Amino acid sequence: MTQPQRERLAAAQAELLRALLADGEVPKGFDRERVRIEKRALLNKRRGIVAMLRPEVAAELGERFRPLFDDYARAHPKEVGTRFREDAARFAEWAAARGELQPPKKKRWWRRAT
Amino acid sequence: MEKLGVGIGWRPEIDLTVERLPGVDFVEVVAENLHVGHLPESLLLLRERGVPVLPHAVSLSLGGAEPVDAQRVAHLGALAEALDAPLVSDHVCFVRAGGLDSGHLMPLPRTRDALDVLVANVKAAQQDLPVPLALENVAALLDWPDGELTEGQFLAELVDRTDCHLLVDVANLYANARNLGTDVARFLDEIPLERLAYVHVAGGEEHQGVYHDTHAHAVRPEVLDVLAQLRSRVDPPGVLLERDDDYPADAELAGELAAIRAVLG
Repeated sequence: MTQPQRERLAAAQAELLRALLADGEVPKGFDRERVRIEKRALLNKRRGIVAMLRPEVAAELGERFRPLFDDYARAHPKEVGTRFREDAARFAEWAAARGELQPPKKKRWWRRAT
Repeated sequence: MEKLGVGIGWRPEIDLTVERLPGVDFVEVVAENLHVGHLPESLLLLRERGVPVLPHAVSLSLGGAEPVDAQRVAHLGALAEALDAPLVSDHVCFVRAGGLDSGHLMPLPRTRDALDVLVANVKAAQQDLPVPLALENVAALLDWPDGELTEGQFLAELVDRTDCHLLVDVANLYANARNLGTDVARFLDEIPLERLAYVHVAGGEEHQGVYHDTHAHAVRPEVLDVLAQLRSRVDPPGVLLERDDDYPADAELAGELAAIRAVLG
C-alpha cells in the first residue's frame, strides 16, 4: 500500500544522511548553513560516545583525538548494524594502523585491561 | 490517561540519586540499554516500591522508509511486560536510511508521503506491542523543504490515524521554536491534548544562535515557560525530567523537579 511513498521517502532520507554523514551534496531545498550545523552536531555526538567508550584511546591521542576522529568519521560513516563499541574499536584500529596509537597489546586472560 | 506525577529519567550513572530523590513518582528507562533477563537491581527496587518504570525507545526509526524491525519492537514489548509498564514510547523521527545510521533522532519531512509511511510503521509496531505506544516530538536543527503540514497538524493526523498517545517534549518544542520558528501556541492548539501521555522536560545550551537540546545542561526558564503554556491548556498526566550527561549534584536535580512541580501548581 505504501510502497511508492516508501521509495520516495527512502531516496530523500538517504540523500540527507549522505550529506550529513558522508560528505554528500546538500540536497535541494535545504539550508546549507543548517546542514553544516547538523553535520557538526552529529559528528560531536559520535565522537563523544567513542571518547566515553574508549577513554584510554582519547587520552593517548590527546589533542590529536578530535582531528583524527573527524578524518576517520568522514571516511567511515556509521553503517546500519554497527554498534558504537564496534565503531570505537574500528577507530582505534584505524589510528593504530596510521601509527598514531600504540597497537593494542594482546589480551591475556589473567591480566586486567589497563 | 493514567496519572503518573513527576518523574526523572533513570540512568545507571544516577541510579542511587534517583532512588533517594524525594518526590519521584515515576521513572523512564532507555529501552535499548536494558536486557530483559538482567534488569538492574535499582529498577527492581523501584518496581518493588510501586514506582512505574516506562520503557522509552530511541531506535525503532518509525518514520524511516523501511518497515519496522520486528526484533526491536519485540524487545520493547518484552521490557514493558518485565517491568509491568503501562505504556512505552519512541519518537516521531527516522534514525537510519540508505545503509547509514545517524546515531540520532532525525526530523521527518512533514509531507503526506512521510505521514503515510509513519502511520503504517506505527500500526505495525502497535500490533506487536502489549501496551499502548506514545510518540514524542523531536528537536531539530534543520527543517526539510516543502513541508505540507505544520508539526502540530502532522502529529494530530498521526494520532487520528493510529490512535497512539503523545509524549510532548517541551524542550524539543522550545528548540524548534528557537531554531525553526515553530509557533508554540499553534502547536499546542493543533495537537490532541486529550491523548497526552506525559511530558518531557530537559536542559540545553545555546551555541552561536542555535539552541542545542543536550540533556547535559540546566533546564532553561524559557523551557519551563513552554511547560506553563501547556499547563494552561491541560493538566498533564505526568512530567519527566531528562538528564543524560554532566550529572549535577542531587540537590540541583531536586531543584529542577521542584521547579517543574511549581509550574504544574
